[in-house]
Amino acid sequence: MKLLVGGILLAVAFAAFPLITQRSDLLNLGIQIFLAVALAQSWNLLGGYAGQITLGHAAFFGLGALITRILWVNGAPLVLALVAGALVATAFGIVIGLPAFRLRGAYFAIGTLGLAEILRISVGNLMPEISTIPAAALVSYDMLSRYYLTLGLAVLCVAVVAALVCSRVGLGIQAVREDEAAAEASGVGAFRHKLLALALSTALVGLAGGAFAYYHVSYYPQHVFSPVWTFDAVLITFVGGVGTIHGPVLGALFYVILKEILAVRLVELHLLIFGVLFILVVLFFPGGLVEAWSRARRLITRKG
Amino acid sequence: MLEVENIQVSYGALAALHGVSLTVRPGEMVALVGPNCAGKSTLLKTIAGLLVPRAGVIRWEGKRLSGGPPQQIVERGVALVPEGRRLFAAMTVRENLELGAFPQRAQKGRRAQIERVYGLFPRLFEREGQLAGSLSGGEQQMLALGRALMGLPRLLLLDEPSLGLAPKVVETIFAILAELHREGMSLLIVEQNVQAALNLVRRAYILEGGKIVGEGEGQRLLQDDHVRAAYLGPLARGSSA
Amino acid sequence: MILTQQLILGVLVGGLYGLAAAGLSLTFGVLRVLNVAHGELLMLGGYGTFWLFTLWQIDPFLSLLGVGPALFALGLILYWTLFQFVVKAHEEVRIKNSLLIGFGLTLVFHTLAIRLWTADERAVTTAYAGAVIKMGAFAIPLVRLSSLVLAFAILTALHLFLAKARWGRAIRATAEDWEAAALMGIPVGKTYLLAFALGTALAGIAGGLVTVSYSISPSIGLEWTLKALIVVVLAGLGSLFGAFAGGILLGVAEATSAVLVGGAYREVVGLVLFLVILLVRPQGLFGGRG
Repeated sequence: MKLLVGGILLAVAFAAFPLITQRSDLLNLGIQIFLAVALAQSWNLLGGYAGQITLGHAAFFGLGALITRILWVNGAPLVLALVAGALVATAFGIVIGLPAFRLRGAYFAIGTLGLAEILRISVGNLMPEISTIPAAALVSYDMLSRYYLTLGLAVLCVAVVAALVCSRVGLGIQAVREDEAAAEASGVGAFRHKLLALALSTALVGLAGGAFAYYHVSYYPQHVFSPVWTFDAVLITFVGGVGTIHGPVLGALFYVILKEILAVRLVELHLLIFGVLFILVVLFFPGGLVEAWSRARRLITRKG
Repeated sequence: MLEVENIQVSYGALAALHGVSLTVRPGEMVALVGPNCAGKSTLLKTIAGLLVPRAGVIRWEGKRLSGGPPQQIVERGVALVPEGRRLFAAMTVRENLELGAFPQRAQKGRRAQIERVYGLFPRLFEREGQLAGSLSGGEQQMLALGRALMGLPRLLLLDEPSLGLAPKVVETIFAILAELHREGMSLLIVEQNVQAALNLVRRAYILEGGKIVGEGEGQRLLQDDHVRAAYLGPLARGSSA
Repeated sequence: MILTQQLILGVLVGGLYGLAAAGLSLTFGVLRVLNVAHGELLMLGGYGTFWLFTLWQIDPFLSLLGVGPALFALGLILYWTLFQFVVKAHEEVRIKNSLLIGFGLTLVFHTLAIRLWTADERAVTTAYAGAVIKMGAFAIPLVRLSSLVLAFAILTALHLFLAKARWGRAIRATAEDWEAAALMGIPVGKTYLLAFALGTALAGIAGGLVTVSYSISPSIGLEWTLKALIVVVLAGLGSLFGAFAGGILLGVAEATSAVLVGGAYREVVGLVLFLVILLVRPQGLFGGRG
């Protein structure tokens, strides 16, 4: 309950923020945060709740971005482009899921990584030229619409995960994560549930990719398939708290703001810090920031 | 001398041994018999250091044994021949034997000890270069035993040495155990083949449900009513079920 | 003919793929730990060679005598501070955690490398860099040939160590059944430590050879981790020479595809092969364990 209230308040706060100021650098920061939330939360669905650690997240982000970009730049209405991007990403995800789920654990992870790399290289070869928003659209480029689009996306991702977690299907998915054999034995169709998690995950990250295509003015087409997107998603989720609803949100806030603070003087250092944090989390603090926060709260309430 | 005092071992929340005590005097050959899942293997694994007791103490030659890692226990002269042999199937007979002499203490007399083992088990010498996985059941047991001997143990722990072996082979193995005993080795043998075990040893313990429920001379236990009923009836004879 | 020349080059690079894979195979086979930072370790070794050459004019092949032990030491540190905790869990969790930790290490090392050496590609050009052995119409670059021979020699030495030496056998025994190994008096923790450090040393040496034969930049880390993974999956675990052969196979496959569909898809071929083998025969072409 508290989480729900907190989440709604946060969303409202972010929504109301442009009423205070519309400085483009701050709006930009907001967009980064929302994209990070979407990226991480969509990964969290598959990697955290379903327990299928995937390293190919970028493939679906990229597909969403690719399709959306192509359609939108060529005149299609934005909503159509976004939905098309998400659909293509999901379709690809399902096609992949069928054979991929035969692989277990590490093999699934590196298999999905290999897949994403194949896409990246192929796209890089087929579309080597930089993709830029055409002049007409550039003139009418407004940050605010991107701000609200990505905010909506972030809220959607969190809402989907929150709704799923409490639902029967969601419980089934988590049961599969805990012990696939046991879940299967008690009637939970493991494959079906994993596939559903995959479909939702890819749909959401496909939307995120589409949003990125709408937002980012110019980039090389293979950039959206870069493993960096996967790494960001995994990092943020784990440091924030894998398998929790608010973990990816906390992690995203932390990550983007840290990146901003460090960007001025120590470029790229945020990755190093996050890398170290990540290792510490995996070894000693599996619950991430979420766990650290609740432990700290308990310490304080005990003393108080 | 091996002194096991009040050992309690649990697998997670499941208690396997509820305060087990036994002793093996220097140069003694003792059997530990009992039904399946009584905790016999658990006890041997605990003595060998693969499991850590929740309570209780194990002493060997006066000094505390429990709590140390398996390799330390081997260095102290206690060797376990595990259930199912656990040979290195991908390595040859000779390599398995030489691995048994891994401890520093056993390295020097390695060559002499291998000759001794080949003397006890001529069949192993014949199959020196063969992969351990390709040996017959009896040969594997001999190799497991020989491998343990390479570490120059003073106490041998054997977990179900007759498991899956034909009676004739069991006879051979037991004869060798008797021979080792004659030469001064202390032995603690866990066996499901109660008949053969009680005929072999002078003294035995009975372990049921994680507790010692009986102790006595091998021959006398064979006459005991409870033992006869539980283990020597027509349905309970031998193991290979 | 172009194909033959390409094949020759493919074999030459394949030897290095094999060496890189051997290190990964060793750690995965013995500790059941998948260190995806393997490529970054290779990259660090490569920069070690680069530094020694640039700062003190030490011949790159000679520098391996320093790079090998340095990466071995790094391996000791990494095991002692991180991976020893990972091996305490049982296999499935072990693999998952090692994957994640390797991932964190990848980021740390990658960022470190960019800070220390910038993101630019660097090369080491010795006096004999351009030397070539001519065989009819084909040219075999001497440096790359030496690297291949050296890689093979190192793997042979390692193979002998594993086959005959007391600790080498202890490693093999621990890889097969660590509890049984412990019952032999083999200190499993130390064995893991040794195997892990050997794996990182192999990565470092491979990196040095990559630097002298090709070039080095911080981004080769992920690339070589993937190569090593592809070869490990291709060849299966359990044989160093299998890894070597697998590496050569990959090099040849890449060369062939480069001729047939163009060099741009060179990497893709390896990855596709990788996925196919993962799905069809996860234990690899020559492997024992899956």
